[in-house]
Amino acid sequence: MSETDTGKGGPEEMISCQEALEKVYEYLDGELGSPDQEKVREHVKICRNCYPLFDFERAFLDFVREKGFAEEASGELLERVHAIVREGG
Amino acid sequence: MTAPDEQRTQEFESEALPHLDALYGLGLRLTGGDESAAQDLVQETMLRAYRAWDSFELGSNCRSWLMTILRNTFINDYRKTKSRPPSVDYDEIAERPVFMDAKTTDPEGKFFARLIDREVITAIEGLPIDFRIPLVLADVEGLGYQDIADLLEVPVGTVKSRLFRARRRLQRVLYEYAIEMGYIR
Repeated sequence: MSETDTGKGGPEEMISCQEALEKVYEYLDGELGSPDQEKVREHVKICRNCYPLFDFERAFLDFVREKGFAEEASGELLERVHAIVREGG
Repeated sequence: MTAPDEQRTQEFESEALPHLDALYGLGLRLTGGDESAAQDLVQETMLRAYRAWDSFELGSNCRSWLMTILRNTFINDYRKTKSRPPSVDYDEIAERPVFMDAKTTDPEGKFFARLIDREVITAIEGLPIDFRIPLVLADVEGLGYQDIADLLEVPVGTVKSRLFRARRRLQRVLYEYAIEMGYIR
């Protein structure tokens, strides 16, 4: 998949692109814990195939988090809830 | 109404009711855009909140307290139906990263910013329920994997894989939409 798959130039525990790819969201969510978080970080830092993908996924997650929450006009709900409360629950 | 009741009601109305639109927004995301189900969910949430109002500490975060009640109310109902067959065939969902297709035309994912809010909301609400719920809890509510696993009463590994697939599916839907709209070529 990339030159890093051969382990060329990296420490012996360098993970493969496939492994990094499988952990991309856990990594970006900060859910991996030590030492996996560091292993992925090391891989992404030097793998030119993976770092643009990780940047892309990070942009995607930031986007979803920004847009995923939107208030919605609750309209007649306010009246319904007022009624409940005024009737004493 | 007696005087203490009146005070309690006024307190509730001024503290809790301003969050109605936010609760309805979350309700819509969780129910997949089902307006009637979301309204019932918000109403039930408000009823529970009103009954439990004495346990709410004035000055603490009312919105977050209400969101928790809404989430728990929804998840309780959802869990009851957990034993049903999966709502989607997990293996059929493409997991290919959109990046692989977009890397020559838009490697930085600039097309995301061109999508309008409604398109994104519709795409989230259109996800199959078993994918949508972990995604809403993680990306809309900001919960961690373990909290989601506890809420849904499933192993953390299940949360991971559903969230992974949910996000891949969502980005695929958004990408295809962006192509259709001419935001990306």
